[in-house]
Amino acid sequence: MLQTEAEYIRILKSRLEGTLPADELADILSDYSEHFRMGKANGRLEEELFRSLGSPEDVAREIRATHFVNKAESNKSCGNLLHAIGATLGLGLFNLVFVLVPFILLVVLLLVVFIFGIVFTVFGPAAGIYAILQILGIPAFAIWQSPLAGIFFSLGITTFGLLLVIGDYFLARFFYRVGIRYLKWNIGVIKGTECVA
Amino acid sequence: MNIQFKKGVLEICVLSVLAHKDCYGYELVAEISKRIDISEGTIYPLLRRLKDEGYVTTYLQESAEGPPRKYYRLTDTGRNVEHEQREEWMRFVASVNALLEGTNDAAD
Repeated sequence: MLQTEAEYIRILKSRLEGTLPADELADILSDYSEHFRMGKANGRLEEELFRSLGSPEDVAREIRATHFVNKAESNKSCGNLLHAIGATLGLGLFNLVFVLVPFILLVVLLLVVFIFGIVFTVFGPAAGIYAILQILGIPAFAIWQSPLAGIFFSLGITTFGLLLVIGDYFLARFFYRVGIRYLKWNIGVIKGTECVA
Repeated sequence: MNIQFKKGVLEICVLSVLAHKDCYGYELVAEISKRIDISEGTIYPLLRRLKDEGYVTTYLQESAEGPPRKYYRLTDTGRNVEHEQREEWMRFVASVNALLEGTNDAAD
């Protein structure tokens, strides 16, 4: 592969085009052109400058990851979060363990709490209806000594279910916020492929 | 040294160089790569993140030769962060050194 300025810029551009807004992309490319220009003015060769910059693919991956994480931060949505996580996974195999696994565990946890919440929320009123039927004298079979206990039981379970669902919502928001902070930190620490040192 | 670790300390390096003086990109990269062996290309994405965080601002300045250069300057927030991270780093290094010297004595 040719290690020229044109090639470096071409690779960066091709990897980032369509992802970043045009003005931001132009700004990034001009940073690297300036780097090459200054380097050459200092008597260095394009090839040498290319090598010490390291792989443009890695730089592009890092910029993409930052872009998607910022987007997920300013515009909270599942889609944006998935993009951010996908882009961060591209930074290194390392992140399969340090990003993907914790993410899946958290999603499973939130899902389990949510399902329990829904089950209790549905089961509560059902138990209430059963207790009312009992009061009206149409019991299938008696669960409670007194139907009044059934009413209280039903209210308790319903409340508990609703609290779980609401709590789950806030928990999800909390994990989202902390997760974004973690991804930002992660991008600053996780390196791409080995640099040619 | 493990490169994984180096990337993490790049931020404090950039902030501390900028605490001395405003720099243009190439100057900053040269300053850092003089002492630390890293993929120089990753300094530019780092600078963008520092700008997003509001730690640095940029301005264009004419140069004697060629088109204007983009300079990076630390903001007040950036200056505070630099200060905090510097202290944190110094404490960390002192602790590690103390530990290494301790185990060194034990090995004698």
